[in-house]
Amino acid sequence: MPKIETTGKLFYSLLGRTLQDSELEEIFPVAKAELDGHEGDLLKIELNDTNRPDLWSAAGIARLLKAYWGVEAPLYDFFSTSEECFDSEGRELIVDASAKEVRPYSIGFAARGHVVDEDDLEALIQSQEKLCSNFGRKRKTIAMGIYRSDLIKYPVHYRGADPDATSFVPLGMDRKLTLREICTEHPKGREYGPIVSDCRVFPYLHDDNGDTLSFPPVINSDRIGAVEVGDENLFLELSGMDLRDLLLAASIMACDMSDMGFEILPVKVRFPEETEFGTEITVPYYYQEPVSCTLEQVHKTLGQKMSGEEAVASLKRMGMYAIYSDGSLFATVPEYRNDFLHPVDLVEDVMIGYGLGNFEPEMPQDFTVGRLSPAEELGRKVKDLMVGLGFQEMMYNYLGSKREYVDNMNFPQEKCIFISNPMSENYEVVRPSIIPSLLESESVSAHAPFPHKIFEVGKVAFLDSSDNSGTTTRNNVGFLASDSIMGFNDVSSLVNTLFYFLGKEYTLSALEGDGRFIEGRCAKVMLGECEVGIFGEIHPQVLANWGSTMPTIACEIDLDLVMAN
Amino acid sequence: MDIDVKNLHPLEVRLLRHVDLQQDITAERIVQELEYKVGQCNQAFSWLSAKGYLVEKSRMSRIFYELTDLGREQQEKGTPAQRIFTFIKAEGAQALPELASALGLEKSEVGSAFGQLSKAGLAKMNTENKAEAVADELEGEFLVTKNLLDKGLGGELEEAMLSEPEKQAMAKMAKKRGASNSPFKVIEREEIVFNLTDEGFSAKQAVLAANITGEELGLVTSEMLSTGSWKTGSFRPYGLNAPTSRLIPGRHNPYGNYLQWVKDKLCSLGFEEFDGSLVENEFWNGDALFMPQFHSARDIHDVYYVKDPVHAKAIEEPWLSQVAATHENGWKTGSRGWRYSFDHEFTRRQVLRSQGTVLSARQLPKAKVPGKYFGVARCFRYDQVDATHGADFYQTEGIVLGDDVNLKTLLGLLKMFAEEIAGAEEVKYVPGYFPFTEPSIEVHIKHPVLGWFELGGSGIFRPEVTKALGIDVPVLAWGLGIDRMALMHLGLNDLRELFTPNIESVRTRRGN
Repeated sequence: MPKIETTGKLFYSLLGRTLQDSELEEIFPVAKAELDGHEGDLLKIELNDTNRPDLWSAAGIARLLKAYWGVEAPLYDFFSTSEECFDSEGRELIVDASAKEVRPYSIGFAARGHVVDEDDLEALIQSQEKLCSNFGRKRKTIAMGIYRSDLIKYPVHYRGADPDATSFVPLGMDRKLTLREICTEHPKGREYGPIVSDCRVFPYLHDDNGDTLSFPPVINSDRIGAVEVGDENLFLELSGMDLRDLLLAASIMACDMSDMGFEILPVKVRFPEETEFGTEITVPYYYQEPVSCTLEQVHKTLGQKMSGEEAVASLKRMGMYAIYSDGSLFATVPEYRNDFLHPVDLVEDVMIGYGLGNFEPEMPQDFTVGRLSPAEELGRKVKDLMVGLGFQEMMYNYLGSKREYVDNMNFPQEKCIFISNPMSENYEVVRPSIIPSLLESESVSAHAPFPHKIFEVGKVAFLDSSDNSGTTTRNNVGFLASDSIMGFNDVSSLVNTLFYFLGKEYTLSALEGDGRFIEGRCAKVMLGECEVGIFGEIHPQVLANWGSTMPTIACEIDLDLVMAN
Repeated sequence: MDIDVKNLHPLEVRLLRHVDLQQDITAERIVQELEYKVGQCNQAFSWLSAKGYLVEKSRMSRIFYELTDLGREQQEKGTPAQRIFTFIKAEGAQALPELASALGLEKSEVGSAFGQLSKAGLAKMNTENKAEAVADELEGEFLVTKNLLDKGLGGELEEAMLSEPEKQAMAKMAKKRGASNSPFKVIEREEIVFNLTDEGFSAKQAVLAANITGEELGLVTSEMLSTGSWKTGSFRPYGLNAPTSRLIPGRHNPYGNYLQWVKDKLCSLGFEEFDGSLVENEFWNGDALFMPQFHSARDIHDVYYVKDPVHAKAIEEPWLSQVAATHENGWKTGSRGWRYSFDHEFTRRQVLRSQGTVLSARQLPKAKVPGKYFGVARCFRYDQVDATHGADFYQTEGIVLGDDVNLKTLLGLLKMFAEEIAGAEEVKYVPGYFPFTEPSIEVHIKHPVLGWFELGGSGIFRPEVTKALGIDVPVLAWGLGIDRMALMHLGLNDLRELFTPNIESVRTRRGN
């Protein structure tokens, strides 16, 4: 979930009024936002909609809240479309074919007429940050740079450059580095360099004089790319892998900056080959199709009758211009949004605009039969029997270490499901058996009065090549008892009692070569030809591995197999 | 002072009845007069002192000497000095080594014994370097020693009863520790003299008044019952507040009980339970839920990948084709899709189930309409383990399928959960966001103890989810965060405690 911070000063000036925290908490759900904290003048806001990057800024939230209150939406009249194109007055960005193999797209626009103060600069950097890291997947698909337009001689050039023959002074350094050196020597290079460092050429942005703007997606130059408080003419450039995402991110930045008081100036971007919007795109560029849904769908989804006019008014409160005609709603998608995949997305906006509090909860009418799963039913029966036999039910984590599940147990590693990206070696194997969990209890419970009699009904999983996944998950019961005198006869009697009440006739056969148990004092539990479980005296070496000095017996039974046999 | 005679043990009762104010009460006396064993007597003293009925008047240390095995042997055969003297008297002068072999003594023993005789002037080393008797018979300390050995045979000798010469001789023969090489062992005994206190006297009066003799029947025995001997006695009343012993019963796990209660509740509301395997593939874990394959929640930092096998063998058709087409272009769901090229290898990649909603997705192709389903699913999330995050944890999720379900019935369902399962006083709904539902609703409740918090997330499954899995009716989907309520229910505040391996902690956990 993206989290942003904004000064109250900036936020309330964008909002046109000041609100108490309680009022913010009241209204924020409209933007799927939550007030996360308020320290001094700093508001911390969490945004829950990962599909609405336009809301990840003070300007974006303020825009929606104003629309909700009925404040007339500002006209963002600087968008070119496929039909109408603004004059870019010579500002051009030329994308060279050489960039295609590393990062194919770069677009940009310019802004002027507003002197950047500290709050603005913070807000711009934060928007850039949130868009590139959350929406742009840590700059992988979107990276953005803000530059001092006054120092740029247009056209700006974007190309794939030789990483060893291209050098400039990056922001935060005082000497020239090649692009490749930046990837190892500059902190940003180490962070973002890996996005491109496997490629033959690296993305490179420079002006017509050959002065460097940046090495996208890594770092700006220390001159053109060093925006400061007091600047008032800016150039924004976005590079990445998906043209639609880049255009949307540019639109969001343009609308935010327009709300901050900038005049947005178009830049014509020339591509080396045809894109879905042509070879030349004037940015900011609006490409959304109108969306529609029937009023009937609104009724069916929301369970609430409303008139077409009410639906239109609801959408207006969400900043959407819509009309109702012929039983359907037709809406224009705002420039800064791209989250309408299906008519239901429009329905949700109607819902929020209509006010969630205006929908009266109703109970579903359909009659259905409630039922526990067969595994749960059997599990409960087994639990009751074990409790009756004097055992304490335990519940354990299902992830553990190789040491616990394999090494300590003399258990074959080949049967275990390992995680390829464990966070720590304490959690890297799915437990193949309940017995190591029970023994872990022994290792931490020497102080607990004996006898220890514990069990768990739970899941285990291990490799099984016959399954589509190559693994199987089983519902098992495992139990363990330890005391100064505890042996095979005790566990055999417990198994006998358990199976008597489960109504199953079992036989025992010798269990050989299982290092968990003392050879000759362990058995396989057979239902007909099927081995459904094992039990025996835990091997002293295993007990030593767990740091236990009490004679211990254990048993594990596959309840799925008991059910099936 | 309140005296509850029922709290007196028969040993105490009999002792109280037997003694009086101003009397010296000693173990020796009680053992003799009441025929208590020393242990019983000490128990009675300790209990009565603790109650304030007896008070210690004096405490005296007494020293006793007890004959050891060696002492017995010397009494019988004589001490080395005696034996040497007798031998040389009878056989004439002897060299020391010969003495040693003739008497079966160590050379060192012979040396030191002869030294003693020589020093006392009873024997001497003659010119031939042989031991020779000088006196006619043993005298002085040697006689005292012999007498002590003889007296010791009759029982412990108390130091206070010994004469001065005897004391001096005993000092050389007795040892406190390592006494097996000495003829006597020193035993120190403390003798305590008690007096009855005024409270003790009142207790005695109370015992007499209640006509309790300490001879009452204690444990009811099978013999008593079969012979009828109980008829001739009376039963000793027991102290009601005597400390009880710790019992360790077989018990259900309180967290398990809570989950069981939630499951029963959901069953009673018409939900059928589903379940599934811990290893999932990207298809069901994300793709089927219309989460684009590039979604940040599907990142390596959010989901645990299975090392081997990396991929499932196959994904079920027609779901794979339909879901893939839905991602790419919306297929027949009315959606425009995510507009990217669906990765058919990635979709087979195996993970540990990261969200319970997977089971809802898997249920859809086989679900009945109308239908209600739920599952309590163990999920795995790539998180640092701490008080609020576990490596694996339970999620409670479910779906409702029906021609007529909609937002208002979703709100009704949430309200019912809030009231029935969480005991909420007030319920609030706010718009939420989940990749697989639209609209999406979060339900917040005001809990009598916890205050306002988010009970769960919910929504109506996107048509991209349902239609691609063969369902044409709306499907409500919900998930409840019941861990917090479980913690409160169990009086805990750390999620790790739910799965603690600590036996004592689970044994003593109450639950509500």
